[in-house]
Amino acid sequence: MSSVTANVLYQRRRRTNFTWFYFLFPSIAIMLVFFIYPILLTFLYSFTNLALTGEAAKELKFIGFDNYVHMWEDPTVRISIWNTLVFLMGSAVIGQQVLGFIIALLMKHKNRTFRRVIGTVVLAGWVTPEIVCALCLYSFFGDEGTLNMILEFFGISAVTWLYTVPMLTIILANIWHGTAFSMLVFQAALDDVPNEIEEAAVVDGASRWQILYRIVLPYIKQTITTNAMLVTLQTLGVFGLIYAMTGGGPGTSTTTLPIFMYNQAFVNYQLGYGTAISLLLLIMGVVLSLFYIRSVKE
Amino acid sequence: MNAKQRKIIYRIMPYAILTFIGICFLLPLLWVLVSSLDTNAMQSLKMPHKVTANNYIDVVSSRPNQRAFGIGLLMSLGQALLVVVIGLLAAYPLSRYQLKYKKSFMLTILFMTSLPITAVMVPVYQLFLSLKLYDNIFGVILFYVASAMPYGIWMLKNFMDSVPNDMEEAAWVDGASVFAGIRKVVAPLMIPGICTVAIFTFSGSWGNFFVPYILLNTPEKFPASLKLYQFFGQYGMVDYGKLAAFSVLYAIPSVMLYILSQRFMSKGFGMQGGTKG
Amino acid sequence: MVRSKKRWMIITSALLCIALLIAGCSSKGNNSEASSPPASNSPSAEPSQSAEPSPSASPSETTPAEKTTITITYRDDGRGPEGTLYKWIEEVKASYPNKNVEIKQTPIQASEGDYFAKIALALKSPDTAPDIVTEDTFMINSDASAGYLTPMDDRVSGWEDWTNGSFIEALKKGVTASDGKVYGVPYNTDSRGLWYNKQIFKQAGLPEDWHPKNWDEVLQAARTVKEKVKNVVPIWMNMGKATGEATSMQTYEMLLYGTGERLYDDASGKWIVKSQGILDALNFVSTVNKEKLGPPLSKVLNGQAGNTSSREYLPQGKLAISLDGSWIAGNYLSNGAAPWPEYKDVLGFTAFPTNKGQDPGAITLAGGWALSIPANAKHKDEAWDFIKYALNKDNTKKLILASGNITVRADVGKDPEYTAMPFNEISTDFLQKAEFRPAQDKYPEVSTQIQTMVESVASGTSPENAAKKYAQDVTRIVGKDKIVEK
Repeated sequence: MSSVTANVLYQRRRRTNFTWFYFLFPSIAIMLVFFIYPILLTFLYSFTNLALTGEAAKELKFIGFDNYVHMWEDPTVRISIWNTLVFLMGSAVIGQQVLGFIIALLMKHKNRTFRRVIGTVVLAGWVTPEIVCALCLYSFFGDEGTLNMILEFFGISAVTWLYTVPMLTIILANIWHGTAFSMLVFQAALDDVPNEIEEAAVVDGASRWQILYRIVLPYIKQTITTNAMLVTLQTLGVFGLIYAMTGGGPGTSTTTLPIFMYNQAFVNYQLGYGTAISLLLLIMGVVLSLFYIRSVKE
Repeated sequence: MNAKQRKIIYRIMPYAILTFIGICFLLPLLWVLVSSLDTNAMQSLKMPHKVTANNYIDVVSSRPNQRAFGIGLLMSLGQALLVVVIGLLAAYPLSRYQLKYKKSFMLTILFMTSLPITAVMVPVYQLFLSLKLYDNIFGVILFYVASAMPYGIWMLKNFMDSVPNDMEEAAWVDGASVFAGIRKVVAPLMIPGICTVAIFTFSGSWGNFFVPYILLNTPEKFPASLKLYQFFGQYGMVDYGKLAAFSVLYAIPSVMLYILSQRFMSKGFGMQGGTKG
Repeated sequence: MVRSKKRWMIITSALLCIALLIAGCSSKGNNSEASSPPASNSPSAEPSQSAEPSPSASPSETTPAEKTTITITYRDDGRGPEGTLYKWIEEVKASYPNKNVEIKQTPIQASEGDYFAKIALALKSPDTAPDIVTEDTFMINSDASAGYLTPMDDRVSGWEDWTNGSFIEALKKGVTASDGKVYGVPYNTDSRGLWYNKQIFKQAGLPEDWHPKNWDEVLQAARTVKEKVKNVVPIWMNMGKATGEATSMQTYEMLLYGTGERLYDDASGKWIVKSQGILDALNFVSTVNKEKLGPPLSKVLNGQAGNTSSREYLPQGKLAISLDGSWIAGNYLSNGAAPWPEYKDVLGFTAFPTNKGQDPGAITLAGGWALSIPANAKHKDEAWDFIKYALNKDNTKKLILASGNITVRADVGKDPEYTAMPFNEISTDFLQKAEFRPAQDKYPEVSTQIQTMVESVASGTSPENAAKKYAQDVTRIVGKDKIVEK
C-alpha cells in the first residue's frame, strides 16, 4: 500500500473513531428505552404492591421484600420452578438435543433424497409458528385426536393425554417445534468432523460406538455445550405454546414460571408480585447464560 | 447373527428409525392440512367428503383477516428492516475498530440475547402506558426491534468480521465515504448474514402473539398471530375447517422465507459466532 | 481529563437523544390517537364483513365538527355484530334523540376471565379509557377502589327513574361500593339453578317435574342418567380457571352457600379460609369427577366451556343437568346464539338445594352487569345522558327480552311481554332468597384462587389439599389479620 493511501486511511480512521458512537447510538438508544429500562423497572416494581385493580392500584407503595417473602412461602412458586426445570430438561436439554443429534448422525452419508424428505418434515415443525404448533399438537393429543385414533386402530383405548400426562404433551410439543434447530446445528458440526480421523479409527479396529464416544463427541463438544445453552435459554421463555395448549393446567401441572408470572400479573391483577416472579425468571436466564459464556470461553 | 446379517441391519436400521421419526413429525400436521380442505371438519381426523378450497376462500376474502395479515406483515417486515439497518450500523464499529469496551459490550449483548422477553412484559406494559404507546402498532414494532437488537448486532458483527477489509479500503481510496463503503461494499458481501438475521427476526415476531396480546387492545389492530390465538383459544374451535385454513395460511410466510433462505442458513448455523467475540 | 470530558459528552448526548426519542414516540402516539377515529370509523370493524358506510358520514343535519363521540366498551363473546349487546346498542343509538352525540362501540374481544384485566388496563389511562364501560357488579368494588370509576351519586339522585322506585331497591346494592357510593347503573341481574332436560329425565325414569331436596338427590339423579342413558353427560358445572367467574359463582359459591357457609364474614370483616363448608363443596366437585358424572375435562376446563354446555350440549340433548345461570335461555331465542324453539318444553329450571335440605331449602346467587363511567372518561356528561336514555324502561326491556336476563327494573318486571318469557317467573322467584358476593375489593383476587382450587379438585387433587392451598393463597392476598378459620 502506498504511503498516500495509508495516509488517507489514517485520516479517515481518525475521523470515524470519533463517529463510532453515532453508529452505535440508534441501537443503544432503542435497547436502553425498550429493553434495559424495563429490566430495571422489573427490579423496581418487584418491591412494590403494583396492582391492576383494587385499592393497591390507586397508590403505588414500596413494600420492601414482601413479594419475595410471599414467593418464598408460595408453594406454587416451587411447583412452577420445578415444572420449568422439568420442561427445560425434558424438552430442551434431552429431547431436542438428543433427538436432533440422533437425526443428524443417522442422516450422515444417507441417500440425498431421503435426507431431504426427512429433513423437510422435521423442519416443518420448526418453521411452523408457535401458535399453529399449539393447535397442531392440541388436536393431535385431543380426546378425539389423531393419536387416540391411531391407538384405537391398534385396539388401545383412548387416553385424555392433555389431562392425564399434560407435562409430557407440552414437552413433546416443544420437541416437535424445536428439534430442527439442534438437527441443523449438529449436521453442520458433524460435517466438520474430518473423515480421515474416523477412517483412521476404523482402520485401528474401533467399533461404531467407540468412534462416536472417543472421536466424534469430543470433537463437537463445544457445539454441544453452545447448542445446549441456546436451546435451554430459548425454552426458558416459552409461553405461547404452553398457554395455548394447557393454559398451565389442569391445576398447576404445567404452570411454568412464564405462565405463573402471567397468571399473577394479568389474571390475579397483582403486577408487583408478577414482576418479582419475572425477576426470578431473569435471574435463571442470567445464571444459565453466564454458565454458557463461561463454557464457550473455555 | 452373523457378520453379514449384522451389516444389513446396520444399513437398514438408520432408515427405519429415521422413517419412524419422520412419521412422528408428520402426524401432528395431518389434522391441520386435512381439515383445512374440509368444510365439515371435526376435532378428530377424518377424510373429507369433498375436498374444497372454500375454507381458504372464506378466510382470504374476509376483510378483518386481510387486515390482520397486513398488520402482521407490517409489524414483522418493519421490525426486520429496522433491525438489519440499525444492527449494521452498530456492527460496523464493533467489527472494524479497536474500541475500549468492545469486549464487555459484546458480552453484554450476548447475555441480552438470552433474556426471556416474556419476563419483562409487565414493566413494558407500564412503560407503554406512560409513553402513550399502548395500543399503538408502531410502539409494538419498536419493542420488537429492541428485543431482537442484541441478537441482530451479535450476528451481524460476526458476519461482518468475515468480510475482508481490503475491498472496503479500496473503495475509500476511490473516494467513497464510510457509509457508502458499508452500503456498496460491506453489505452486499454480507447478504447471507443479513438474510439470516432478517428471517430470524421476521419469524420471531410473526409467530409471537404474547407481545401484541399485552400491548394492543383494539381488535382492528390485532396482527394475524393474535387473531389466530383468539380464534383458537377463546371462541372454541367451532369452525375447525376455517381455523385450520387460517393456520395454514398463517404459516406460509414463515415457510416461504425458510425456503428462500435455505442457501444462507448453513452459514448461520456453524456456531462460529459463539467462539469469537 | 480529555477522556472524562468525552465520556460526559457521550452520556449527555445519549440522554438527550433518549429524551428526543421519547418525545418523538409520544407525539407519534398522540398523532395516531387523534387520527385513529376517522381511520377506524366502521363500528367494531372486527368481524363485520361488509363495508358499512361510516356512521359519521350518514347524519346530515349537523356538521361533523360539533359532534362529540362517546365510546362504549363491553365484552364481545366472539359473535361480533351478531351479539346481543352490539345489536342493542345500534338500536338505541339509532333512536337516540341527541344527534350531536356519536356513539361508538369499542368492544373488547376476550374470554370472561381476560375481559376484566383488559378493562382494568384500559381504564387506567385517559388515552384508552372509554366513556362508558360495562362492569360485572363483582368488579365494581375493586375498580372503584382503584379509582377507575366515577361516583354517580349526584347524577342518579337527580334521575327520576332511580328515585321513584323503578329500579328494584335491593339490586342497587350490587352497584354500591364499600365506600357507600354508587358506581354504576345496573341493567340486568341473574339467578342460578339447575337446568335439566326433561326428555332425558323421562328416558332415565326420573320425574319430569324435578325438585331435588338435597345434594344427594342431585347426585342420585346424575347417577341414574349415567346408568340409563348412554352418551349423555349427566351433570355439567363449570370447573376450570378458564371459565373465570362462572366457575366461582355458578359452581363453587352455589355449593358453598348451600352448606350455609359464606366466603366472607361480614360481622368480623374477615375471609373464611377454612371450614367444613369449603370441604363439603369441594367434595361435591370431587364426587362428580370421580364417578365420571361430569363432562370430560377437555371440554370443561377450557374458556369455551360455558358456551359448549349451553349452546351445544344442552340443546343437542347431550347433557342432562346443568348448574348454570338463568340467562342461558337467551341463547335459545330466535335471535340468540343457538336458536332452539322447543327449549321451553324440553328444559326445566329448578332451584339448587342446600346440601342436606336445611333451611332455606334452596340457594341462589345473584349477580349482574352495570353501565359505569370511567374516571378517565372524556365526556362524562354526555355519557351519563346516554346511560339515562339507554336504561329507560323501553330500552331496558328491549335488552332484557333479547338477552334473556332478569330485569333490574320493577316496571319492566311487570310488563306482560317480560312475564310471558318462559322461565322468567321462576328465575325472578329465585331472587327472593338470593345471596350476593362479598362487596370487597379483594373479591376478584380471591375469586381467581377459588377457580384454581376448583380446577385442581376437578383434575384429581384431594379436597383437603386444595383447600389448604386456598387458605394459604387467600391469606397472602388479604393479609393474616383478615382471615378466620372455622
